[in-house]
Amino acid sequence: MLLLQNARIASENSPVLLESDVLIVEGKIQDIGSKLPIPEGARVIDARGRVLLPGMFDAHVHFRAPGFENKETITTGSEAAINGGITGVVMMPNTRPALDSATTVATVLENAKDRSRIPVYTSGCVTKNREGKELAEIEGMRGLGVKMLTDDGDTTNDPAVLLRAMQYATEFGMFFASHCEVPELAGPRALNEGVMSYRLGIKGSPACAEEIIIDRDIRLARAAGAHVHIQHVSSKLGMETIRWWKSRGDVKVTAEVAPHHLLFTDEHIGDYDTNYKMNPPLRTQADCDALLEGLIAGVFDLIATDHAPHTPFEKAQDFISAPNGITGLDTALVSLHHFFVAPGKFGWDLVVKRYSAEPRRLMSLPVPSIAVGQSADCVLFDTEAETTFTREFMKSKSQNTPFIDQTLKGRVDLVILGTEILLEREEL
Amino acid sequence: MARKDLLDIASLHREEIEFLLDQSTSFKKLFTHSVKKIPALEGKSVLMLFYEASTRTHSSFEVAAKRLSAEVTNFDVAHSSITKGESVRETIETLQAMRTDYIVVRHSHPGLPGMIARQTTASVINAGDGAHEHPTQALLDAFTIREKFPDPRGIKVLIIGDILHSRVARSTSTLLQKLGVEVAYLGPGSLVPKYVPESIRRFTDYEAAMAWAPDVVYLLRVQLERQDVQFFPSVREYHRVYGITNTRLAEIRDRGLYIMHPGPVNRGVELCDAVMDYERCLITNQVENGISIRMAVLDWLTPGGEFPKQESYVARQRTGSALLIP
Repeated sequence: MLLLQNARIASENSPVLLESDVLIVEGKIQDIGSKLPIPEGARVIDARGRVLLPGMFDAHVHFRAPGFENKETITTGSEAAINGGITGVVMMPNTRPALDSATTVATVLENAKDRSRIPVYTSGCVTKNREGKELAEIEGMRGLGVKMLTDDGDTTNDPAVLLRAMQYATEFGMFFASHCEVPELAGPRALNEGVMSYRLGIKGSPACAEEIIIDRDIRLARAAGAHVHIQHVSSKLGMETIRWWKSRGDVKVTAEVAPHHLLFTDEHIGDYDTNYKMNPPLRTQADCDALLEGLIAGVFDLIATDHAPHTPFEKAQDFISAPNGITGLDTALVSLHHFFVAPGKFGWDLVVKRYSAEPRRLMSLPVPSIAVGQSADCVLFDTEAETTFTREFMKSKSQNTPFIDQTLKGRVDLVILGTEILLEREEL
Repeated sequence: MARKDLLDIASLHREEIEFLLDQSTSFKKLFTHSVKKIPALEGKSVLMLFYEASTRTHSSFEVAAKRLSAEVTNFDVAHSSITKGESVRETIETLQAMRTDYIVVRHSHPGLPGMIARQTTASVINAGDGAHEHPTQALLDAFTIREKFPDPRGIKVLIIGDILHSRVARSTSTLLQKLGVEVAYLGPGSLVPKYVPESIRRFTDYEAAMAWAPDVVYLLRVQLERQDVQFFPSVREYHRVYGITNTRLAEIRDRGLYIMHPGPVNRGVELCDAVMDYERCLITNQVENGISIRMAVLDWLTPGGEFPKQESYVARQRTGSALLIP
């Protein structure tokens, strides 16, 4: 039994935070109200000034298992999620072996049951071994609850293959998540084509390499009557393309944006800093501004980190040799607060809608909220405290993030899931 | 003004450039002496770490180091553990343990010399890193131009060719601009990116570029090995549209323009044979000046001290940053 006193309750439906007491009994929210009586035996937490949010949900993470456990495991990845106030994730299938059959998916889900304190869902490949040639065994994966199909990390390059996959899998109620990139245009280097790519002497990847596939995959989805979800959009025109298709209303399209594409530009790469090397690449300030506008306007249905851990050795190589991606689970919620909520660029309602509710709706999962009768799935967030992202603080096995050793405003103090307190900061 | 490394032109100050050019003048005077060696780097070791083929730069550095009485070791990449998959980082750890004083490095990956510099106490000299920078080439180019134009401010240099893949174009244009020289690029639209700095004029038409009235025409080597990706239809067409043909050479001679080229030249592509006999062709001067410039650089750098840190954008912004304070 837990009584949170004077918490400021956030919801997806209103920017107003309601100050209230919240009583949690046996993993359920039993009562919400002002000055609730303290039941006997209840633990009381003074939540004054803190925001109570539903647990976040990240629909785009790389947990690297099986095959790359030196970067991350299901255990370390899910602990990083809890550390960042995230109570559910969807793994991408670019593991080794790739998650392209019922066998590999079953192994991961089985492992996740024992090794994670939060629900871990997985996507499945569109094609065998993500090679873009033969369809993966889609129905077998569906039987294990896989909803999302993606060859993430690469585009399913042959449009005929993707169209057939869409025609086939849509009948099973599955949807497609697209990593959008024309490989012949993008080249192997995760760097935006522009002033910085010229200065650094590296062949850049033009935004049109991404935009062409965004448009292509939505057209294919329309032809197949499928639902396509566009992953990690990085460019202004990519966002505008999605906006236009959504305005037509004759195709089911959803889209996500990653915090790093809202926050950083290619200029942050500076002197070849590999913590800013990711794919799609960081683009320009105009792109950042447009993505933020798109998020506020609802063009993006969800925020997702694309949490991509790599070992320090890998990231300490030169920019060309270093792998793409940064970690995000430990840092996402605090960074969203620091850069957007605290300065008033958007409210907690947007965070809850785009990083908790909509990602779960995408995956056809129940959506938690701070309401009487709901299962307890919540995060207590201190807006006045600070978090310093030291190596010791972060729970991910890898710490390839631009936020390393930085202090940002905001702190995840408490994470509750059902009857379990998954995280409780000492400062609480 | 002490520096441990020479990694790029972008971070060099004008005073440092002037100093190196002046030092190079002094070293060049040595070449006329019967004994061309001085003991400036006696007891010091210079390691040549070339991951890419090189004739001019490699031999030029080697001659420069030996004329300063340094001991030169060639790291044989072809027969090293690198072929067994040893990473550059592991190689650097090995080299650091050897306590070499100078490492001259060439690699196809941009930024890699900087990465090495941050992991060793040796002075690292970038002898070309991909399409990023080639600082000693830029210095010798500037030195060569300054021999003809003692005050180069206001002169115009037209750089022709594959700007996209050229570290020479990047370094030389940056350095010349620091000396007050006006720079323009000319080449096929596929090889002259739209994103060149605004301070550099961008031409895709030879006649328009010549109407800009350059004093020096700097030809870049066409990298024929890149022709598997067609940046232009054929070398014949390139020569006709952007090369110095016999007809164009006549015009260049009439106007008294100088011609430069970092070498090695592709005859019949960027220039016709007759260019090599043109009295104002400075290609041989560039090779000769490469030695004195590299002597100046080796003599100037100071090995040892702390490993420099990578200066990330965020670190630079840490105080009073718009990024960190909403």
